[in-house]
Amino acid sequence: MGAGEIPLEVEALAGPARDRELVARCREGDTAAFARLVSLHERMVFNLAARLLGDAEEARDVAQEVFLQVYRRLGRFEGRSSLKTWIYRIVVNQCHNRRRFWHRHGRDREDPLDERLAAPRAPGRRPPGPYEEACAQERARTVQQALLRLPFPQRSVLVLREVEGLSCEEVAAALGIPDGTVKSRLSRAREALRQSLAGLLEEGDPS
Amino acid sequence: MSCGVVRRRLSRWLDGELEAGAARRLEAHLAACAACARRARELRAVSRLVSELPALSAAESLAASVVDRLDMARRPALGFLFRGFSSTRPFILPSLVPATLVVVTVLAGVLLFDSGPLPEVHLAPGGAWGATPALGTEGNPVFPSAGIDLPRETTSVPLPTEALSGDESVFLEQLVARDGSVADVTLLEGDATGTASLMNALRQQRFEPVRYRGRPVAVSVYRLISRMEVRSPLT
Repeated sequence: MGAGEIPLEVEALAGPARDRELVARCREGDTAAFARLVSLHERMVFNLAARLLGDAEEARDVAQEVFLQVYRRLGRFEGRSSLKTWIYRIVVNQCHNRRRFWHRHGRDREDPLDERLAAPRAPGRRPPGPYEEACAQERARTVQQALLRLPFPQRSVLVLREVEGLSCEEVAAALGIPDGTVKSRLSRAREALRQSLAGLLEEGDPS
Repeated sequence: MSCGVVRRRLSRWLDGELEAGAARRLEAHLAACAACARRARELRAVSRLVSELPALSAAESLAASVVDRLDMARRPALGFLFRGFSSTRPFILPSLVPATLVVVTVLAGVLLFDSGPLPEVHLAPGGAWGATPALGTEGNPVFPSAGIDLPRETTSVPLPTEALSGDESVFLEQLVARDGSVADVTLLEGDATGTASLMNALRQQRFEPVRYRGRPVAVSVYRLISRMEVRSPLT
């Protein structure tokens, strides 16, 4: 059964309405609907896990685990938040569990992410030259390393805010923590990065 | 507004989370304080560096592999192989520890207390009620099996097989006593004439006492002996 079997009327829906329809079909055991749900959210889930864990292999593994959990818990999804917000929380929890598991088993070092795994660039944008490309990859590696040095609670808040572009309120809803906690963690995370990325900031204002 | 207060609020200001009045006061401070203005620029640059991290994508789509794993998980027999074991059952691993302790204790107890005397088998020979000799004694020998080794000969006694004709063989039972001597030899199958010297030689054999659970036992072994070869002992 493939995602192509999803009826056109579901595809025509957008955002929350489409998610609601897909969730309803998944609850009925419709595997094609679930495959569609996965393909709609897998990029976000993988990218978020990769940025939080700093390891592509682990991120892929966590992403699969996240979707299996989504499937198992769909019955408990009340629809009060959006499906995406609900998935954010599962991803962050899974990554947190994975890190605790590493910590217990003495593995705290991540294999550096290959920034070449970057998703294809939007069409129409001028492709960068090899030098620009190399500089961008080096910058991304440095930022990723700095992110990984942040305590996990600060890192997850910062990544949801800056990478996923959620508002403070949305981050609070996704993580189930108070708004004020989000803001103070953001403040501490940015200040820590400001210090650890001082070299990058001095090289030239990216603005 | 002091520099300390401004710096604590910069992150909220960048997110547009400050009230209008507080934001205006902070902006007025930034216009006048170069150090705080620089700090604000750096924080803005930090946000930009993180938000401009390239979006990573898995080498191949996850949908197919997730649906495959889901199908596997639905099969009751194999499901446990594909389920996140510790994540779906967070309490099973800690609870296995006391369970293991109980099992180990019971096993240790069984092994510790199972070294006592062999159980006696009571039979009623000839229809009359009465106890047979204890198992492992000459009157009630054991047979070689797992845990009971074959007796090993200590002094080699040559067996006179000349009396047997070419293809003749005899089948005997040799009872090795607890001290390793031969208590009895019984001809089970074969011609009795001419086997007297052979049976005599078998009686002269000496073995290392066979031990079972730490004490010597009498063992009965079957032996098939022919002129050309001595195939023994048989179990």
